Parts: sequence; structure tokens; C-alpha cells
Amino acid sequence: MLVAWILVGLAFLALSIVVYVAIRSRTRQIDLEKAVQAFHSLDIDAFRNLVDSDEEAFLRDNLPPRKFREIKRQRAWAAIVYAWEAGKAATALAYIGQAAQHSSDPEIAASGIQLAENAFRLRLHTIGASLRLLTEIVLPDRRSRSHPPLVDQYERTAETLFRLGRFSPGSLLNN
Amino acid sequence: MLPVNWYKTLLLFLWIAPHVLLGVLALVLWKRRLYKKFPCFFAYVLYEISEFILLFALHSVLGIASQQYAHAYSYTLLFSIALRFGVIDEVSKDLFRESQLLKVTARRALQGVAGLLLVMGVLLAVYAPGSSSAKWHAGIFVVDRGAAMVQCGLLLSLLFFSRFSGLSWRRLAFGITLGLGIVVSVDLAFSALRAEFTSVVGAEFLNLLTTGSFLVCVSIWIGYLLAPAVDPGSVAVVPHGEVIPHDEVETWNRELQHFLRQ
Repeated sequence: MLVAWILVGLAFLALSIVVYVAIRSRTRQIDLEKAVQAFHSLDIDAFRNLVDSDEEAFLRDNLPPRKFREIKRQRAWAAIVYAWEAGKAATALAYIGQAAQHSSDPEIAASGIQLAENAFRLRLHTIGASLRLLTEIVLPDRRSRSHPPLVDQYERTAETLFRLGRFSPGSLLNN
Repeated sequence: MLPVNWYKTLLLFLWIAPHVLLGVLALVLWKRRLYKKFPCFFAYVLYEISEFILLFALHSVLGIASQQYAHAYSYTLLFSIALRFGVIDEVSKDLFRESQLLKVTARRALQGVAGLLLVMGVLLAVYAPGSSSAKWHAGIFVVDRGAAMVQCGLLLSLLFFSRFSGLSWRRLAFGITLGLGIVVSVDLAFSALRAEFTSVVGAEFLNLLTTGSFLVCVSIWIGYLLAPAVDPGSVAVVPHGEVIPHDEVETWNRELQHFLRQ
């Protein structure tokens, strides 16, 4: 009996999600300006500091174990917030990249393809980084690795975005 | 119990109407040559129409016994379930069409999800609620419920993944996913309820809701197929001023390069 009701609950949850997605897809608008702002607001310097393995080693050597675990958990949470925001910006950039792919200007279309691909890669890296950071929160004594792929991907996305930014907004959006 | 005539009329309408609409859908898919892009979906639509004709003829024209009808229904249901898996595979391929990276990563992730859901489906079949009757059609309904759970999970994963990664759906693929999502989630809920509540009134009511959900699903497919396509370039809100202040991005690039070299 209980299993049946659990299944019914799950099915109606799934149905609600499907209906929600359908409604949201009709009202969704990509705010290019907001996405770009979000991208700019990310302090890569701070993120890099938070996940720096040398910094972690320094803290491990100079703090009592209990304090170190507390600080490490706080740092990991902060880094997760950065990764989460970077992921959100990457999602918006992916939409913009895909929209640009349909431009009649081949240069814009090519930049769009590159932007979308970089944004997808950045998104996947943010997921990987978030999972790793969550592991660090659960197991703070485990020595963490640095996160160069995320930083590297961020840079590549910024480069592509820069190339895309050479075109006027009108040429990007009206083609 | 519901008044017989009212119930029969409504059930007949809900049984016939979606299949008439499926005929329209097949015609439009054929005329627009969309069967090339979605061959499995096209096959599924044709199969559902053929299945309806066969079952309708058996039920209304030949008037066969309910036991024989249940046999025919169950066998056709199995093939329908298999085709639905094909349709899900087709929409997932369409979703990841433009990114080589996602083609590999997301499909691998989906395979993992499918494996997990399959295990859950088998466990559900083993510890299935409801009648422990060893009748063959009870077994088929257990398979149907397990498959509905797997399909529901796969479709939700696709929706989550697209939303999470910023993937844009093609209009028809999105419509197919939504319609199928409604059908399989309703199927999952009602198959679980059907296993528990075996009363005639309950079964009749669930029958109405199941056929009604299929009508909703086909209407969604028709709606997404016939609605005018939105220009993908017009979805963005036009910003004020420049897209990116150049010097800011250059500063960012310089800073990032500096950090990467450290």
C-alpha cells in the first residue's frame, strides 16, 4: 500500500515538474545584460584563493586541527557559492551562444558555437568542482587538489565572450 | 457506479479522439518530412494508430471476449513501451545534437541514470504492490509500471539536464518530451493505484483519466507541431549599450592569465 502511494506521489511530482517546465519555457527570456554582469561579478581571484592547495597547506600547518576543519568547511562553502554562480552565468551564456549560432553572419554564428561549447564545458566543470567541494565539506581532513580546469575554462569562456562582444548587440540579436 | 451511457460515451470519445488527432499528426509529420528527423516518433504515432484500429475492431466490431481483448491489449502495450524508449532516445539525441562535448558526457550520464532506474524498476517489479496473482497480464502491468518509472525518470533527467546546462530544445522535441512526460507520469500513478484498488468504479474512473491524459499528450504534440516557430535569435532581451565592455574583459583575461601562470 505504502509503495503504491509513494509511486503516486512521485508520479504527480514528475507531472508537476513537466507542467512547470512547459509553463516556464513559454515565459523564459534570456537577459544578456544580466548574464554578462553575472559573469563580470565573479571574483576569480577570490575563488582561486579559496581553492588554492598551498593556501590550504598553510592553514593546515598553522591552525589547530579543529579550527582548520571549521575554516576549511567555510572556505569550501564560499567556493561552492562561486562555482554555483559561475554555473548560472555559464547557463545563460550557453543560451546566448546557441541563439548566436543561428545568426546569418557566419562570424557571429562561429563565435556563438564556440561560446556555447565553452559555456557547456564551464557548466560541467562547475558541477565537478561543486561535488569535489562538497566532499571537502564532508571530509575536511582529506587533502584537496587545486581546481585548474574550472579557472582555465572560465578564461576560455571570457575570451570567446570578448570575441562575441566585438559585434554590436543588434547584429547579434537581430540576425 | 457511473451512469453506463454517460461513462461509455465519454470513454469512447476519449478513446477515439486522440487517435484521430494522431492521424492528423502523422499527416503533418509526413508532409513536413519530419519523419526523417524523428523516425522513431513517427513509427510510434503510426503504431498507436494501428493498435487503436486493431483493438477497436476487436472490441466493437468483432465483439471478442474480455479475456481475449486483454490478451491483445497487453501484447500491443509491450511493443508500445519499447517504442517509447526509442522516442526518448531520439529526443535525447536531438537535444545534444549541437555539442560534441555534451553528446559524450550527457549521454554517458543518462546511461547511468537509465541503469539506476532499471534496477529500481526491477526491484519494484519484485516487491510489486497489489495482487499477487500469477496471471500473465498482471505481470505485463508490472512491466508497464516499471517501464513507466524508468521512462519518467529519463524524461525528467533530460529536462533537468537541459535546464542545468542551458541547452536549447528544438520546438517539436520539447513538445514530444512534454507530452510523453505527461503520459508516462499519469501511467505510473494510475498503474500503481490500479494494483491497489480493484473495484469496478475505481477501474472505470482510472480508465477515463488514463485515456484523457493521452488526449492531452496528443494535443500537446499537435500544438507544438503546428504553432509557429520562434526565431531563436529573438529570445534574448536586447541590452542597453555594448554587450561587453572590451577593456573590462581584457583586464579579466590579463588577470586570469596571471593567475594561471602563478
